[in-house]
Amino acid sequence: VNGARDVRLERWLGRVLSVGVAVSTVLLGAGLALALAGAAPGTSARLLRIGLIALMATPVARVVISVVEYGSKRDWAFVALTATVLGMLMMSFVIS
Amino acid sequence: MALFLAGGVAGTMGALLGLGGGVFLVPLLVLVFDVPMRVAVGISLTTVIATSSVATSATLGRSLINLRLGMVLEVATTAGGLTGGLVAVLLSPATLQRAFGVVTAFAALVMLGRLQRRNVMLDPAADPGWLGGRYHEDESGTTVTYRVKRLPLALAVSFAAGSVSSLLGLGGGILKVPALNAWCGVPLRAAAATSAFMIGVTATAGAVIYYGRGEIVPWMAAAAILGVMVGSRAGFHAGARLRAMWLKLLLALILVSVSVLMFARAS
Repeated sequence: VNGARDVRLERWLGRVLSVGVAVSTVLLGAGLALALAGAAPGTSARLLRIGLIALMATPVARVVISVVEYGSKRDWAFVALTATVLGMLMMSFVIS
Repeated sequence: MALFLAGGVAGTMGALLGLGGGVFLVPLLVLVFDVPMRVAVGISLTTVIATSSVATSATLGRSLINLRLGMVLEVATTAGGLTGGLVAVLLSPATLQRAFGVVTAFAALVMLGRLQRRNVMLDPAADPGWLGGRYHEDESGTTVTYRVKRLPLALAVSFAAGSVSSLLGLGGGILKVPALNAWCGVPLRAAAATSAFMIGVTATAGAVIYYGRGEIVPWMAAAAILGVMVGSRAGFHAGARLRAMWLKLLLALILVSVSVLMFARAS
């Protein structure tokens, strides 16, 4: 495993992060534009809220994919590590 | 508009050095925009997530990010993030700021002492060990290799970085990057890229808690985040061209300023 690169994982993570960034940018941009224009206050608040949630969900999705990928490689040490991180993230959701 | 620009500056610096950029954004929001500390911290945490996602998607595939090292250290930063959120109420803000000032000043000294030293082995056949890595470096035009040393120390620093992250609205890279570079054998670029990769998860743990308490003002966060999205791309492109020595100098300079600022605010 020395210096092994996780090529497939990197590709997947790249895709997820780009999509997450694109989605939250569009939602937040549209929400902010509407808010500044003073039009449709309900819609703009909703867009901003969903945009923020999409932003916070992106790193969570990244961790979920890592767990799955290491699982499919039967690399149990890293499954345990990434699953622990995921568990702690879930705890912060529960606390809030 | 001003918030957008503030986010832009924070994002550029953040992506350049693997920091979240919160180190610039929190003081800016509090001192210039007169925003309450807790609101500033919440907004800052959301921008840290943005910096991390943008910087990581830009650097993936260049093997600068040490995924495995990042995932090991993430356990410590996330645990630190949760702990920090829970003990935040026990400590006075002044105490926190002074402690932060001491740590950043120390990190600056460590960085300055290492300007001319490099962690990389130029022999492409060198063994990187369990968590080390190798990547193509434009500065020397070769593939360089490094090993990770003193992992327990890296874990301890990551835990501390995670706790200050949710307390002060930072990504925590300001502690991790100097420690990984100076003590753990990781070259600056790899340390910055790996830190940028981790801070998204650390900041999410904190941001979710602030969001749940309703302390994140959506339109302000949106303006700052959009600024960060633009700025972090710029920072990423600049970072690839600058020499490692200049990056270290810049980091040391920022650490000193933050340290002074924290002491000034604590007294």
